[in-house]
Amino acid sequence: MEGGVSYARMPRVKIRELKDDYAKFELRDTDASIANALRRVMIAEVPTVAIDLVEIEVNSSVLNDEFIAHRLGLIPLTSERAMSMRFSRDCDACDGDGQCEFCSVEFHLRVKCMTDQTLDVTSKDLYSSDPTVSPVDFSDPSATDSDNNRGIIIVKLRRGQELKLRAIARKGIGKDHAKWSPAATVTFMYEPEIHINEDLMETLTLEEKREWVDSSPTRVFEIDPVTQQVMVVDAEAYTYDDEVLKKAEAMGKPGLVEIIARQDSFIFTVESTGAVKASQLVLNAIEILKQKLDAVRLSEDTVEADDQFGELGAHMRGG
Amino acid sequence: MVAKPGSVPDFEALRELFKHHIESFDYMVDAGLDTMLGHIKPVEVFDDFTSTKLRIWLDNPVLYPPQKERISRTMREALLPFECRQAKISYSGKITIDVCFQYNDGPIIRENVNFGQFPIMLQSKLCNLRGADPQKLVSYKEEASEMGGYFILNGLERVVRLLILPKRNYPMSMVRNSFSDRREGYTDKAVVIRCVRADQSSLSVRLYYLRNGSARLGFWLRGREYLLPVGIILKALIDTTDREIYVNLTSCYNEKYEKGKGAVGTQLVGERAKIILDELRDLSLFTRLQCLEYIGEHFQPVMNELKNDSYPIVADAVLKDCILVHLDNNFDKFNLLIFMLQKLFSLIDQTSVPDNPDSLQNHEVLLPGHLITLYLKEKLEDWLQKGRRLLLDEIDKKSKKFDFSDIVQVKKVMDKNSPKQVSTAVENMLKTGRLVTQTGLDLQQRAGYTVQAERLNFLRFLSHFRAVHRGASFAGLRTTTVRKLLPESWGFLCPVHTPDGEPCGLLNHMTCTSRITSFFDSQGNIKDYFKIKMSILNVLLEVGMTPSLPKIFLPGPPEALTVLLDGCVVGCIASSEVEKVVAHIRELKVSSVAVIPDDMEVGYVPLSMGGAYPGLYLCTSPSRFVRPVRNISIASDGSENIELIGPFEQVFMEIRCPDGGDGGRKSSFPATHEEIHPTVMLSVVANLTPWSDHNQSPRNMYQCQMAKQTMAFSSQTIQHRADQKLYHLQTPQTPIVRTSTYTKYNIDEFPTGTNAIVAVLAYTGYDMEDAMILNKSSVERGMFHGQIYQTETIDLTEQGGRSDRSSRMFRKSNIEKSACPSIDSDGLPHVGQMIRPDEPYCSIYNEVTSSIHTLKRKGSEAVYVDYVAADVKNKKHLQKVNIRFRHPRNPVIGDKFSSRHGQKGVCSQLWPDVDMPFSGTTGMRPDLIINPHAFPSRMTIAMLLESVAAKGGSLRGEFVDATPFRSSVTKDSGESDSKSGSLVDDLGLLLREKGFNYHGLEVLYSGVYGTELTCEIFIGPVYYQRLRHMVSDKFQVRSTGTIDQVTRQPIKGRKRGGGIRFGEMERDSLLAHGAAYLLHDRLHTCSDYHIADVCSLCGSMLATTFIQPQKRPVREIGGLPPGRAPKKVTCHACQTSKGMETVAMPYVFRYLAAELAAMNIKMTLKLSDGAGVGA
Repeated sequence: MEGGVSYARMPRVKIRELKDDYAKFELRDTDASIANALRRVMIAEVPTVAIDLVEIEVNSSVLNDEFIAHRLGLIPLTSERAMSMRFSRDCDACDGDGQCEFCSVEFHLRVKCMTDQTLDVTSKDLYSSDPTVSPVDFSDPSATDSDNNRGIIIVKLRRGQELKLRAIARKGIGKDHAKWSPAATVTFMYEPEIHINEDLMETLTLEEKREWVDSSPTRVFEIDPVTQQVMVVDAEAYTYDDEVLKKAEAMGKPGLVEIIARQDSFIFTVESTGAVKASQLVLNAIEILKQKLDAVRLSEDTVEADDQFGELGAHMRGG
Repeated sequence: MVAKPGSVPDFEALRELFKHHIESFDYMVDAGLDTMLGHIKPVEVFDDFTSTKLRIWLDNPVLYPPQKERISRTMREALLPFECRQAKISYSGKITIDVCFQYNDGPIIRENVNFGQFPIMLQSKLCNLRGADPQKLVSYKEEASEMGGYFILNGLERVVRLLILPKRNYPMSMVRNSFSDRREGYTDKAVVIRCVRADQSSLSVRLYYLRNGSARLGFWLRGREYLLPVGIILKALIDTTDREIYVNLTSCYNEKYEKGKGAVGTQLVGERAKIILDELRDLSLFTRLQCLEYIGEHFQPVMNELKNDSYPIVADAVLKDCILVHLDNNFDKFNLLIFMLQKLFSLIDQTSVPDNPDSLQNHEVLLPGHLITLYLKEKLEDWLQKGRRLLLDEIDKKSKKFDFSDIVQVKKVMDKNSPKQVSTAVENMLKTGRLVTQTGLDLQQRAGYTVQAERLNFLRFLSHFRAVHRGASFAGLRTTTVRKLLPESWGFLCPVHTPDGEPCGLLNHMTCTSRITSFFDSQGNIKDYFKIKMSILNVLLEVGMTPSLPKIFLPGPPEALTVLLDGCVVGCIASSEVEKVVAHIRELKVSSVAVIPDDMEVGYVPLSMGGAYPGLYLCTSPSRFVRPVRNISIASDGSENIELIGPFEQVFMEIRCPDGGDGGRKSSFPATHEEIHPTVMLSVVANLTPWSDHNQSPRNMYQCQMAKQTMAFSSQTIQHRADQKLYHLQTPQTPIVRTSTYTKYNIDEFPTGTNAIVAVLAYTGYDMEDAMILNKSSVERGMFHGQIYQTETIDLTEQGGRSDRSSRMFRKSNIEKSACPSIDSDGLPHVGQMIRPDEPYCSIYNEVTSSIHTLKRKGSEAVYVDYVAADVKNKKHLQKVNIRFRHPRNPVIGDKFSSRHGQKGVCSQLWPDVDMPFSGTTGMRPDLIINPHAFPSRMTIAMLLESVAAKGGSLRGEFVDATPFRSSVTKDSGESDSKSGSLVDDLGLLLREKGFNYHGLEVLYSGVYGTELTCEIFIGPVYYQRLRHMVSDKFQVRSTGTIDQVTRQPIKGRKRGGGIRFGEMERDSLLAHGAAYLLHDRLHTCSDYHIADVCSLCGSMLATTFIQPQKRPVREIGGLPPGRAPKKVTCHACQTSKGMETVAMPYVFRYLAAELAAMNIKMTLKLSDGAGVGA
């Protein structure tokens, strides 16, 4: 049907950079709503596992119980199987108390300082009942320094001080609490399309060209040392601050350059906390989006949906 | 500039701020008590029967460091301050004084008497913390930076407030209406001098001017003012002739200088001198002996202890003890009195202006050690006098058992008056701040001498020691004269750091470099004032001063200037030579080899046309304000030539600010001194505002107040504090943008806020006016998290009656063990236990009655038990415990936050992270959004600068120095003008180098739609503080609840569950909305709703009553239920129940009807259906 084509999107993804905790990719042939939805889902709706309940047996450190519990909750835990885990509130195996193997992971921490040296209690001192869910390892494999193999410091203990606790980690999403967010940050920018008016540019002297190029706080343009021409060296460094446009107007050359934000091309940057790999984070987000769309689509098959959407519902079904 | 981890920070600059408190106490311990006892006169007891005289006086005071109560005979443990805080006892040491007895002129018998436990100031010489380094202080469970300067009394920390007093030993000319009310013929002009003795007690003397040209000397004795003709005093002091008095009085007048510059005398001076001398002739007083007899005759009835002495001896005592008591020599008193008369005449003739009593120029402060010395002296005198009366009573009884010659019996009689009450009185004075005194101690107020050194945060605690109060008597005044910020205060009192509202201008704070002189010199030794005086006199004689000692008639202005040294006329200097003399003295002050004290004030008042009375006033006394400036008129040979100046001399000096310009200074008055830094005029708290010179001035004032209301990192020894309430910020940060003062005074030990990413835009509807939006995820990650710690002390020895005191103990009931899971077997709560409202947390067992009593948690929220501290002094059973509760206080809607520039706001919404605007390049989402309307009217430019600078600083990984008046200091360092651009350009260049916008603007995208926001957003880190006004402590919700018993209306007060005030404006608001039912609900249904029975026949609602059903003999029929009599209401007046109706009304209306009936007024109601009720 001709009418259905306007709602269809065929986005294309091109990966530029991919590490365990970092990803950079292009998203094309779609619009801002999809890009922003993907960003929001990555930040707030991809599930991870985080410590949710702490029973402190002994705490003679200088920090109080709630603060230690709060710091434990913020430790990222490897959450590869979080997508297949159950939410504690929906678990039928443990009747909702959230302490069975299907919806939770148990941790133990028992540390006591016996020497005069200050003892750092780190996330490496947390022992997990499930080896697939453990504190994220931030050590650098290339470094041989033993100090590098440190986890996240929870508290420091002096001689005689002790910390003994049991913790329960559960599945959750960032919308409920920031500790469940798998993303340190996710952002996208519109790809700029830059056109230089060569005729106007030729009327500038070399000094004026240099001055105009320097007006941008980021290095977008450069002067070719051979041909003395201004060229775009890094279009994506542009921050849409319009500094070069203002400079051109101040020099009496409006229209010297034209910069358009393409509405169908987005450059995504994803930084993961380590709970989920950056690539897996994107895939999980897409999966969550599909589930949301399926939920919307399923509701349209009912009679109420037909009455509600009328001809539009039938139209969307392709009937 | 930040200290490396592990290094011990330098707290010396911080301790300097508290030094004047500690030094005054140290001097009291070292020498002040000795001097004070030397000024207490012996008491004499005379026994007529045996013709024996007994003299009793006090000597040899010894004050000991605080020690614990004796646990064994050999060991005496030092008492630490933290133990006093926990156990709610006072940090005090024993004081012993020798009581000396002497019969007639026989041998002296000494008895060492224990006068009780005397409060000891922390970090003084007697404090057990003195000399401890930071590590040792930590082992004593104190802050590493413990500065001391306060007292611990019953576990509470109290600080003696610095109080403004008139400048000592300086004659001040004043104009007051109360002077003319003294007696008929008095004018409103006088010269007043507050004379201070060596023991810091004072007695003011006033020289009043009469309309007939004479003068009267007024002084207070036994709570009453006595007035004497000044001529009698002059003649009684020394052997002199009328001609000598006349010549001395008229030495300030010369015909050839009439109306010229510096002329202070007129022809009338001679006339007045004649009038003064004529008064003597009229009284037939010609010789010194006659004057002494005249004075003695009038004052003998007042001086009880000199009842049997001759008139001249009584007169000598009056002259010595009541008139110009800061001078020992009668000749010096004569000279000073002549000077005061000349100044008084100059005031009358308007050749000089009155001294401003509100100017800091004429002020000094009352230091803690001096106040305690004064009060202790009075209590000891009272103790001696009371002992004397007890002895006299025993003698009068003529009892055979009492032998006056037996020293043992005398001591026994005196011990009836307990010596320990002396220290108790001093401790009570420090606890309450109230003086219990008969004489007033020549002070202007009786209360308000101490305040609690509350530790809301460190800056509030520090400000108590830098605060200077004008006096409680001024607080009630509505005038502005005492509150004005005068130029004389420059550099001594901060122009910014003062409260707004009623205490504005009365409660000021010292600047960061301002100090107060003490009895100790720069090497830490006690000053020898006699030696100092000799050295100064030698210097003055070398430069050509004419001394007053050989009794030469001194010329006066404008020919020569009188030289006064600590209120003593020592000579005069020719006017043409005095400026060279002053420059020479200043050079000697700066020189380190000179014997002239470096904090001496050289107050040179030059000759002028009708200005201040000229003279050279030198002051070496303690309690004065001084501050350092650089003397640039001395040839600099490498040293900085820092000179300490006082407020009196400052107004006559030429001091340059380091902005490079002359400020319109004339070339005939070149600058002789220079400020060390422009920020020396600000206090410590005012110096913490970054770039405060770019803010509107009131914003800096508000920030000074809000810095002291901030929930900050309260204490590093929080494990050992037992404050009743303690606010604690759990996740503080050090500011990226800071001033040099922040680093100098180690404020990083107690940070007050968090660097928050602040965006300035109107993004939602929730940030109108001063509201702000917090990022929900930032709060969840720990931003601004905090707690309130609340300590409760349970002392079983104080609860209940005396009889069952020792039979109570902490114990848990065995029967109801499962009922109190939060209580351990010892009757105390588990540490870490959550206690909900109305849940018991403590169990007390009474052995006599075998009953268990539990204490329940009051309040409306759950708390955690932080610690339980037990006092194990009593070995049998625990009798006293401290239980500290912890209230979590994470940010919620309604809490209050503020930047460091007076921009406070209330959190109106916690906004989800994904909905926040985000940066496309960095992904940054703001922690905080404020409304751009906050900036135009308040002009807090420094806040914008802080945002730009903090962004640049965080990008480079550096702290940014935000000390104010940057442009003034840069040029001083010799940089060329082209390099030192404006602050905005410098900060903008930093951002540009890192690829950011020059002015801190960024392109942000909507978090909801993902589209670009059409204007550029100002975003960057700003250091934000969390104020202690939190909604969890202030909210009040109620539908119905406790009511007043009389009116049945809701009671008032949040703590008692009272109602929320619904005033006239609230009523008008609901009327405007037409919400009639809601109005009815607030004022009636939820208030004093009441249903009354009203008789429609007679209109009364007070005469109604119920009828008791009559018991008639009814035989019950089997199988049927018994019959029920219906309830009936009847009217007593009408004797019928036909007209009864029920009406809903406020109960207070019925109450009003009863009140009117008590006055024989009957209220009649007319009932109608739907049309309302008419009375």
